[in-house]
Amino acid sequence: MTTEEMLTSSAIENPWARTLDSLKRTWYKFSRNWLSVLGLVMVVTIVFLAVFAPYVAPYPQHSGKFVDFKGKNQPPSWQHLMGTDTIGRDILSRIIFAFRNALLMAIVVLAISVPFGTLTGLTAGYYSGTWVETVIMRVTDVFISLPPIILALSIAAMLKPTLMNSMIAVTVSWWPWYTRITYSLASSIKNEYYVQAAELTGASKIYIIFHEILPNCSSSLFTKMALDVGWVTLVGAALSFVGLGEQPPKPALGTMIAEGVERMPAQWWIALFPALAIMFVVLGFNLFGDGIRDALSPEEA
Amino acid sequence: MSETLLDIKNLHVWFKVYGGVLKVLNGVNFNVKFGEKVGLVGEAGCGKTTTMKALLRILPNLALIPEGDIFVRGKNILKLNSRELADLRGRGLSMIFQDPTSALNPVFTIGQQLYDIIKYSAGSSGQKVANKKNVALGALHEARLPDPERMLDSYPIQLSGGMRQRVCIAFAIATARDLLIADEPTTNLDVTIQDQVLRLIRDLVEKKGASLILITHSLGLAREITERVYVMYAGNMIEMAATSLLFEKPFHPYTQGLLASVPRLSGGGFAEGIPGRIPDYRNPPPGCRFEPRCQYAFEPCSKAMPPYIDVGDGHQVACYLYQDGQGDRKNA
Amino acid sequence: MPDVMDINNNILVAKNLVKHFPINLSGIFKKKWIAVKAVDVINFSVKQGECFGLVGESGSGKSTTAYMTVGMYEPTSGSLVFKGEDIARPAVKRPMHLKKDIQIVFQDPGSSLNPMRNIQNILEMPLRVHNMIKKGNSIEKKVIDLLDMVELPSHYRFKSPITLGGGERQMVAIARALATKPSFIVLDEPTSALDVSVQGKIINRLIRLQKEFGLTYLFITHDLSLMRNVATRIAIMYLGKIAEFASATEFFQKPLHPYTQMLLSSIPILFEEEAKLKPNKIHSVGEIPSPVDVPPGCSFNTRCPFKTDICFTEDPVMREIEPGHYARCHNI
Repeated sequence: MTTEEMLTSSAIENPWARTLDSLKRTWYKFSRNWLSVLGLVMVVTIVFLAVFAPYVAPYPQHSGKFVDFKGKNQPPSWQHLMGTDTIGRDILSRIIFAFRNALLMAIVVLAISVPFGTLTGLTAGYYSGTWVETVIMRVTDVFISLPPIILALSIAAMLKPTLMNSMIAVTVSWWPWYTRITYSLASSIKNEYYVQAAELTGASKIYIIFHEILPNCSSSLFTKMALDVGWVTLVGAALSFVGLGEQPPKPALGTMIAEGVERMPAQWWIALFPALAIMFVVLGFNLFGDGIRDALSPEEA
Repeated sequence: MSETLLDIKNLHVWFKVYGGVLKVLNGVNFNVKFGEKVGLVGEAGCGKTTTMKALLRILPNLALIPEGDIFVRGKNILKLNSRELADLRGRGLSMIFQDPTSALNPVFTIGQQLYDIIKYSAGSSGQKVANKKNVALGALHEARLPDPERMLDSYPIQLSGGMRQRVCIAFAIATARDLLIADEPTTNLDVTIQDQVLRLIRDLVEKKGASLILITHSLGLAREITERVYVMYAGNMIEMAATSLLFEKPFHPYTQGLLASVPRLSGGGFAEGIPGRIPDYRNPPPGCRFEPRCQYAFEPCSKAMPPYIDVGDGHQVACYLYQDGQGDRKNA
Repeated sequence: MPDVMDINNNILVAKNLVKHFPINLSGIFKKKWIAVKAVDVINFSVKQGECFGLVGESGSGKSTTAYMTVGMYEPTSGSLVFKGEDIARPAVKRPMHLKKDIQIVFQDPGSSLNPMRNIQNILEMPLRVHNMIKKGNSIEKKVIDLLDMVELPSHYRFKSPITLGGGERQMVAIARALATKPSFIVLDEPTSALDVSVQGKIINRLIRLQKEFGLTYLFITHDLSLMRNVATRIAIMYLGKIAEFASATEFFQKPLHPYTQMLLSSIPILFEEEAKLKPNKIHSVGEIPSPVDVPPGCSFNTRCPFKTDICFTEDPVMREIEPGHYARCHNI
């Protein structure tokens, strides 16, 4: 119906006008729920802090090798908004730098698992009912059943525990979920009439998979990606809590919690603030992801 | 007006959307007497389903009713609270929807769904209905469904489209007392089954002495079983008459255009349809909403919505062409 | 590919065409497969330049027949010959020139256009697939030309299908079918999902396009009044077999098969003069058998008001009752 007509027919010829209008419309859909906007603010904050960490953190040098035994275990104060840890480092600054690692991990994990998972899922979905589907999905099933922590432990046992290796571990257990979600979308979309129409006209399979099926999966995929930044952070924190991942003295949220747990409840701030930071990341990306889902949903008639 | 069951007066319904407000219903007037069979004819997007949803108070949250009243049995239902509303809904008004497949819950048997309906229709007094099964069987039997006992244990997916629609009719009949609203009840059905279903609706409604509102975009269907017909366009009732009168002599240019577009059994081609599209509800025409597409539009048409003009025998048209009391300013 | 027509100028010939869909009813212990006989031995031919109408209710096999023609299904047996070439294969196994030459317009415009693409992309696709863009001619211009053919404004190419009304979407689907300059288009209920005023526009345009480009149509609909005005020859199908086949005038003026008469008598019509053209009312009694469970003898014997003993034992053969008018019934 005509609910989308905002541009006049002459304006619509101008590609800039079209893009602007489409952005405005997307924003409208996104911002209808104030929680999504809150999520956006939280996400922007996290990204800003991560990118500009050296300039924003009050004590940037505390993120590296630094000790100050005189100032250790200080409760929150005006000099140290979140207190100091067991060797005198400012917790707030370390959290800000830890965001860097968290986001880096999320980006790397998603940058590998999303394309790989999506491609396999699309292939399995489009060829559903054939051996291609069976092979892909059974392999996927195997990988899905690997718990990330156990896998990471095994990798750490074989290699050194580093950030890179924990990223590998998480990626290996992450991509199957993208395969699953894309597979279920693709196998139902391929029966839609517009896909049949393309097949009947003689479009190549590559064309159909990427130009007819994939665009219809994009909304679910982008939403999941937004949510996943939060979840990867959480899994990464779990790994660093048990000593895998980024090694000290580099800051990692899980490691900071591990250090602080022994000091509970007397020096509660050492464990609590990193935990709240994790919650902030997960919550922010969750709310943002909900907003993305709304923003990408098609217009109602 | 004790013989009027339903009276919708000057109803306006707006929807909030991106970039403004959709002013869908623009002063709808619609009434139904007890025991009367009324048709509501109009094309996609004209507002007929919105009107019914407003009547049943099931409009979505982004809808507002800035003006207008709906009286059911004399009570203004727009002013009822939710308990009074539940009472009203359970005991007198029921609706058959267009798509029987989505109106039936696929994970419950027909019997389970029917029992639920019977239970809720007992009203907010919460009386236990003795012998639900007999009532259920009776409803299925009245809907002319084969083997009602087995039907109670069947799932919707086991039935054909025509049967599902008849099951929906059974659901509606189990509780309808005063009014049955049938929204495009035969659209997805085959022609011979359409015939069956329509006759069933008519017979049951007559037997119960209930009123019927038949909503359809098919003029032929309306002609088959209604006594009076409203024609709706872009949020207004633009013509209303006894069924036979309307089809014999349509007055409004839109009705005429519509009738001319229907393919005839006699062959010989048919008209090009009506040029243009329905108006953008965000920015509707200030006067008559059909004016931009009307070949007879003249000066007053763009200024204000025309009033209802009686052209004889209770036949009403909302069109300036007939304003001066002449029945035939333009040849119908 | 040179045009190879036989002496009768037939562009498409189907002989003993059969399509069975296997359904697996195997239990744990015994294996059981049954066949749904969607199309059960049919013979027909379509002349170049005509509009061949296929009528039937759900389960009749008309859509299956159409889909076999375009290559969505592969026939189980029988032959299907297009311009002298065997096309009894699914589209993936067909040469490109066939995919260019035979096109289809689907019933539901909502699902036949990809909602995540804009009109430009949708119309470009067939052009690119068949390398129809010549040097010097921009592809955008070709898309604008296509939109022009279906009378849609050129700026529509930037819109997505969701923003268009049903009629406009169907016009885009028609433009897409025309993009490859086909000679044969299958129209599967192209206007069933649309309002009558929009239908008029689209059908008239289709007829004009047919004359302009010398197209041949295989037109499917359940709306008999529409068929009367569109088709030159008509075949009516029931449970996978053709029941009657005749020129349009003969079909409507002298329907021979009881099923045809039943269908014609059930059409809702608008005007008195049309009522006289209908055969006497034959009400459908009984249910349509499931295609899995076709009764022995004539498949229509569950609902036929004229059945006799032989109808339960022997399946009638298609006979030429009058020149060019064929029917399958024992009792004509």
